[in-house]
Amino acid sequence: MARTNTAVRRTGTVVSFLLMLAGGVTMVLPFLWMLSTSLKQSNLVFGPPQWIPDPINWANYSRIWDAAPLATGLANSTIVTVLVVAVGTFSSTMAAFAFAKLAFPHKRTLFVALLATIMIPLVVLILPQFLVYAQIGWIDTLLPLIVPGLLGNVTMIFFLRQYMLGIATELMEAAKLDGAGFFRIYWSIFLPLCKPAIAANVIIVFMATWNDYLGPLIFTSSPENSTVQLVIASLNSFHAEQTDFPLIMAASIIAVLPVVILFTITQKYFVDSFAFTGIKG
Amino acid sequence: MTTIRRRQVMQRRERLWGLLFVTPIGLQVLLFCIVPVGIAIVAGFTNWNVIKGTYDFIGLDNFVEFLTDKKFWIAAGNTVYMLIPIPFYLFFGILFALGSHRGTPGSRIFRILFFLPYISSIVALVVMWRWLFNYQYGLVNQMLAGIGIQGPDWLGDPAWIKTTIVIMIVWKMIGITSIYVLAALKNIPEVYYEAARLDGASAIRMFFQITLPMLSPAIFFLTIVGIIGSLQTFVEVQLFTSDGGRNYSAATITYYIWQKAFVSNDLGLAFAAAFFFALVILGVTLIQFRLSRRWVYEGE
Repeated sequence: MARTNTAVRRTGTVVSFLLMLAGGVTMVLPFLWMLSTSLKQSNLVFGPPQWIPDPINWANYSRIWDAAPLATGLANSTIVTVLVVAVGTFSSTMAAFAFAKLAFPHKRTLFVALLATIMIPLVVLILPQFLVYAQIGWIDTLLPLIVPGLLGNVTMIFFLRQYMLGIATELMEAAKLDGAGFFRIYWSIFLPLCKPAIAANVIIVFMATWNDYLGPLIFTSSPENSTVQLVIASLNSFHAEQTDFPLIMAASIIAVLPVVILFTITQKYFVDSFAFTGIKG
Repeated sequence: MTTIRRRQVMQRRERLWGLLFVTPIGLQVLLFCIVPVGIAIVAGFTNWNVIKGTYDFIGLDNFVEFLTDKKFWIAAGNTVYMLIPIPFYLFFGILFALGSHRGTPGSRIFRILFFLPYISSIVALVVMWRWLFNYQYGLVNQMLAGIGIQGPDWLGDPAWIKTTIVIMIVWKMIGITSIYVLAALKNIPEVYYEAARLDGASAIRMFFQITLPMLSPAIFFLTIVGIIGSLQTFVEVQLFTSDGGRNYSAATITYYIWQKAFVSNDLGLAFAAAFFFALVILGVTLIQFRLSRRWVYEGE
C-alpha cells in the first residue's frame, strides 16, 4: 500500500516535471530565438533555422545606436521611470498607511472612489487627458508620463493597505504613548515592516512604467521625447518592411534587459507578498 | 481632564495627518480621473473637432452614427474574440501553479522562465512575434514545414491575425496567472486535506472537492480582471497592423475609438463610443458579480 502510494507520487512528480519543462521551454524559446537572431548578419537570417549564429556578429548592437534614437529613448525612459518609482512609492505608501491605520473624515468614500477608478476603461480617461494636456501645453513633453505617477499608484495603495491592515495597531498605540508623531510612526515603524510588499510593488510599477507604450504613443510625438518603447515600435514599423530583423531584435533585447535583470534579482519577493496581500482563499 | 484634552489633540492631529497623507492620490483621482470623465461625458454629445477647435451640441447624433457604422460592429465582434485567451491561460496557469505547489524539482527556475513574457514590454513581444510568425522565414512556419504542414500567413491573412494575437496573449499571461493561483493555493489550510485523507478521499476527489472550490475566489478575480482587460485590447492591434488589419480583421472597439479620435480627428464620436463602451464594460462586470454567487466560495 505504502509502496504503491510512493510510486504514484513519484510518477506524478515526473509527469509534473515534464509538463513544467515543456511550459518553460515554450516560454523561453522565443527569447532565445530573438537573442540568436540579434547576433546574426542581416542577410543570414533567411535560411533554415540556425540556433547558434555562425559567425557570431555583434555589429547589430553597435549599429543600432546610429540607426535609431535609442540612447535618447533609454534616457527618457530612465528619467520617467526613476521619478515615478521613487516619488510615487513615497506617495503610495503614505496613502496606504492612512487608509489602513488612521481615522480621518470621508475615509471610506475616498477609498471606494479610488477603487472605482480602476474600473474605468483607459480609453475613457486617455482621450480627455489628451485634451487637458493640450490646453496646458504638456503634449509632446514627458510631463504626462511623469506627473500623474508622482502622486501615487492606486493598485499599489490597495495592495499595501491590505498588507498594513495585517500589522498590529498596538504598535502604533505604543508609539503614540511614547510621543511619536504620525509621520514618524509611518516612516520608522510601518515602512520597514512593509519592505517585502513594497519591493514587490516597486517592481510592478517599474515594469509598468518602463514598458508603457500607450502613454508615450498618445502624448508624445517627436523623437527627442520618445521613450524606449516608442523608439522600438517605430523601428519595427520602419525596418520590418526592409526586413532587417537582427537590428530590431538587438534593440528589443536592450529594451527588455533592465526589467529582466531587476526581476531576476528580486523575484523571491513576488510569491511571498502575493500570498500575503493577494486574494484570500 | 488633561488626558481627555490630550486625546482630543491627538485625534485632531490624526485627522490632519490622515488627510495630508491621502492628498496626493486624492489630487490624482480628481485631476486625472474625475475631471477627464466629466469632459468625456459632456463631449460625447458634441461634434468636437480638434483641428478646427469647434463644437456644437448635437444630442445623440454621435451615438446613432457609430451604432450604424459597419466598422464599429466588426470591431465589436473582434473585441468579443479577444476573450478567447482567458480560459486557456487560466487552465495552464492553474496547471503550472499546481505543479509548482507540489514542489516539482526546478520550480523556482521555471517560475522565472514563466514570468519572462509577462515582464517584457508588449512592443518587444510584438517585434519578436512578427519575426517568429513571419510567413516565409519565421521559425514557426519553418518548424511546421519540417513536419509537412504549410503554415498560414499568420500576420497578413485576415482569417489568422486574431488567432496570432490570441496565442501571444495566452503565452504572455500564463506566468502571472500561475503566480496568483499559487498564492491562493498557499492559503488553503492543510487540515482540510488531512481530514479528507483520513476519510480515504482520492487525490482527484480532493482536487474537485477542496482545491477547486478554495481557488474559486482567485479564479473569479482573474476572470473579472481578465475580461475587463481583454475587452480593452488595443496595443497589440495597433502594433501588429497598420490600419486595423486587412478588412478591419483585427480592429477592436478601443482601436476604433483611437482611430476616430487621432486619425479622423472626430473627437465627439470617439467620446460617445468610449462612454457607451464604458457602460458596456460596467454592465458586464456587474453581471459577473451577480453570477459569481452561484460558484464562488465565500468562506464561513
